[in-house]
Amino acid sequence: MKTRDITLHINEEKYNLTVDANQTLLQVLRSIGSTGTKYGCGTGECGACTVLVNGKTSILACLTLAALADGMHITTIMGLEKDGELHPVQQAFIDRHAIQCGFCTPGMVMKTISILEENPNPTEDQIRHELEGNMCRCTGYEKIVDAVQHARDMMKGETR
Amino acid sequence: MSELKIVGKSVPKVDAKIKVTGRAMYADDIHMPNALHGKIVRCMQYAHARVIKLDISRAQKMPGVVKILVPEDIEKYNTYNTGVMDLFAPDELNAVWGEIGEEPIFTKHVKHQGDALCGIIAKTEAEAEAAAEMVDVEYEPLPVYLTTEEASHPDAVQFTPEKPGNVAYRVPGGLFPEGFYGYGDIDKGFAESDLIYEEDYYVPKQKHCQMEPHSYIAQFDDQDRLNVWTSSQMPKPVQTKLHKLFGLPMSRIKVNQTVIGGGFGTRLGLIGEPYVCAMALAVPGRAIKLNYTREEDWVASETRHSGRFKLKMGFKKDGTPVVYDGYMSFEKGGYYTHGGVVWVSGILARGAYKFENFRFDGDAIFTNKVPCGAFRGYGNPQQALCMEQLIQRMCTDTGIDTIEWHKKWHREAGGDPWGFGVPTMNCGADEVLDRGVESFGWHEKKEINANQSGPKRRGTGMMLGVHCSAGFPVLLEHTVATVTLNEDATAIINCSISDLGCGNHTAITQIAAEALGFSMDDVFLNWGDSDANAFDIGAHASRTIWTAGRAVKEACEDAMKQVYAKAAKFLKVDPAELVMEDKKIFTKEAPDQIVDLKELLWKGIYAFMSPEDFQFKFDRGQIIGKASFMPFANNPGWYACFVEVEVDTETGELKVLECTYVNDIGQAINPAAVEGQLEGGIQQGLGFSLTEEMYYDENGLILNNSFTDYKMFGPTDMPKCDIQLVTTEEQYGPYGARGVGEAGLCAPGPAVGNAIFDAIGIQFNEAPFTPEKILKAIKGKGLFPDKRA
Ligand code: FES
Ligand code: FES
Repeated sequence: MKTRDITLHINEEKYNLTVDANQTLLQVLRSIGSTGTKYGCGTGECGACTVLVNGKTSILACLTLAALADGMHITTIMGLEKDGELHPVQQAFIDRHAIQCGFCTPGMVMKTISILEENPNPTEDQIRHELEGNMCRCTGYEKIVDAVQHARDMMKGETR
Repeated sequence: MSELKIVGKSVPKVDAKIKVTGRAMYADDIHMPNALHGKIVRCMQYAHARVIKLDISRAQKMPGVVKILVPEDIEKYNTYNTGVMDLFAPDELNAVWGEIGEEPIFTKHVKHQGDALCGIIAKTEAEAEAAAEMVDVEYEPLPVYLTTEEASHPDAVQFTPEKPGNVAYRVPGGLFPEGFYGYGDIDKGFAESDLIYEEDYYVPKQKHCQMEPHSYIAQFDDQDRLNVWTSSQMPKPVQTKLHKLFGLPMSRIKVNQTVIGGGFGTRLGLIGEPYVCAMALAVPGRAIKLNYTREEDWVASETRHSGRFKLKMGFKKDGTPVVYDGYMSFEKGGYYTHGGVVWVSGILARGAYKFENFRFDGDAIFTNKVPCGAFRGYGNPQQALCMEQLIQRMCTDTGIDTIEWHKKWHREAGGDPWGFGVPTMNCGADEVLDRGVESFGWHEKKEINANQSGPKRRGTGMMLGVHCSAGFPVLLEHTVATVTLNEDATAIINCSISDLGCGNHTAITQIAAEALGFSMDDVFLNWGDSDANAFDIGAHASRTIWTAGRAVKEACEDAMKQVYAKAAKFLKVDPAELVMEDKKIFTKEAPDQIVDLKELLWKGIYAFMSPEDFQFKFDRGQIIGKASFMPFANNPGWYACFVEVEVDTETGELKVLECTYVNDIGQAINPAAVEGQLEGGIQQGLGFSLTEEMYYDENGLILNNSFTDYKMFGPTDMPKCDIQLVTTEEQYGPYGARGVGEAGLCAPGPAVGNAIFDAIGIQFNEAPFTPEKILKAIKGKGLFPDKRA
């Protein structure tokens, strides 16, 4: 197996890694203990592995070759809490009871951040469309959509 | 009842933070030092075949391979079935229906695509996978049976000698005096009926699609203990089943339940535990991790029971339900497991309406599909989908108001809905119907929809349903809980309660806090530890609150009884007079004479004699409350569902616009959690009736084993959900609560079917009701010929 030496910045920590050419970013994240990012399908269909690039853009870690992520700044669910404070989106998911089994939650939260980065004021309809790639089998999406709206409202006016 | 302080409040879930930070440990998140990795080699190209030759010589030479387990290696172990009927039903009953455990860990007779052939143990997952590719298998293909008819043919290959004719299960009608499960005289009933309806339905093979694929760790340690990490929703029965399978004493098996990434029945009983444990036993000392890929989940973990349902019902002209006669024939899949679901369908069908005569019969026939097991609703969604549509047809034909019919003919409190001699104590059916009609705007919508034209047609439909709060009296019900009071007046609850995400750990903590008079923060529930936790059945049959909730409540009450006894002795009063507020114990008569709970508990543990009188202030000893609770009641929750759909008659496309769901839950322990669990059930129930089905090619290979091809309701498909909880009196459940875990799934299907019927005047026998089927039926009927012109 061919390997590549890469550098990843994961949650603001620098990792110099040797990865197999066919290893996905998801596999690498999980292998270095960043297990908050989940494997749900491995084929880009469920969104459980969603992480952020440059704190903004969501990507699917299961479809991203680690070697191609060389040099990237990746934020995962485990990097959101700052000085003991949850990210407003995390707090909104708790407050609005949007978490059941929690397996989709890391992906949902990361996706929500990227939705709000792109459009700080999405309508409920837009939120539902944006979430289409993130599956949840527990909640029927009702409380998740509610949490995203709540996060939107909480974050409005905040400097980001 | 005195005012509730914590029960009934939508407190945030106790595990919300650990989940939202990504720090919750699901099985695959646990990394054991020096762990090895397992990979199950599965037959992916045949659904029915005999293995003629299994050659592992090439695989053995692959890098990193430690050991390969073949069928001969596991012959020393018993065979098994993945279900729990062997534990939850009495031996006599199991003998009647012929409970078997015919599944070997590794097989030489492939019975479905994905059947397990052998197991690789290697240093890394990638090495295990690579070695799996190198196992050479020669097969003798066998004829593939995808329907019960094919498998029942006299010449069909037999799945197991124990079940002649491939009949895995028959409803044990012979047990009953009538000679069938039910009551009355069926022929006479039909002779006396004015209206007879008869249909042959198909109910689909639905997959749980829990977001977390199955994942396990096992280690046989140096104290000869088999340690297993699993997200099973039944950790204690899993411990018992592993004991039976491997012949190890229970004291040598430790089950660590991990956080569960969705269950819905898929983690009921055994799944991957036998494989990972066999691997661990083969390499003592080393931890083995076994991860299922999503692809494996499709082929090697169970599904809902699919099959045909012949349903015939007779009514009087005025709608009087005279006779019900159903025969359900389920496609069992490759193995026996959960054979009895078909009977549970009948038991739940019987619970709903006051038919004068009732018969339910059925069977489950082996087929070459992935085995059918437990899935939220356990037979109820299948029967309700059919029965409620047939009732609606009768109402439409006769002009009887469907709401009135349901109100008039549902079973009532005091009846014995399931026929096991245990009457129910209450019934909120009328309340849920009234609330639903109002909240949904049933009559208003009917009026608005009365005059429609154009290609898009709206329709409304409803259903009424009932689902158990536990398995009793059909199945075992039992939970043991202990409450340890700490010296600082906090409490640890030990109870093997499973939380599939619905919030049971939170609700149980609320119950304990309420019963102890403590705050939520003062109480911690220790679950998932089979050494510390005594017996509990696990999560199924909507039972956790009903049985485990009461077990925990009684354990807390037992602890408080001991507290009051000590305090009463000190205060020299009758314990019955004592009350506690803010952990201060006193009598109403002498409120200034106070025992401080913390002092009482502290001095029970750190107990020293007073230097003055050489006496102990309080009786010595730590207080541990306990309960081993087995209910003698099962009061069901009634629910009604109302939906509005819009059918595009040009494309067959269907949109579910609104869904009002009302449940007579009694007292919700945590209303927000209940709502969420019902909303999730609705998502699954809509999928069951409209989009979800596992399709197979003629060779028995799955065609749609991906989230793209297996269509579930997504965020844009979901209708507006209006959840209404009706709080009727409940005398038996803890703080007046009833079970609710499964009801959400059972309801939307029939309501949608009836709404489609209302919109376009067509009923469908084959679920899911896809746009193709709808369009075909519209075209076939020549409906709406050219309205759009
Ligand atoms: S695991 Fe990446 S999309 Fe499912
Ligand atoms: S909370 Fe379980 S999958 Fe979303």
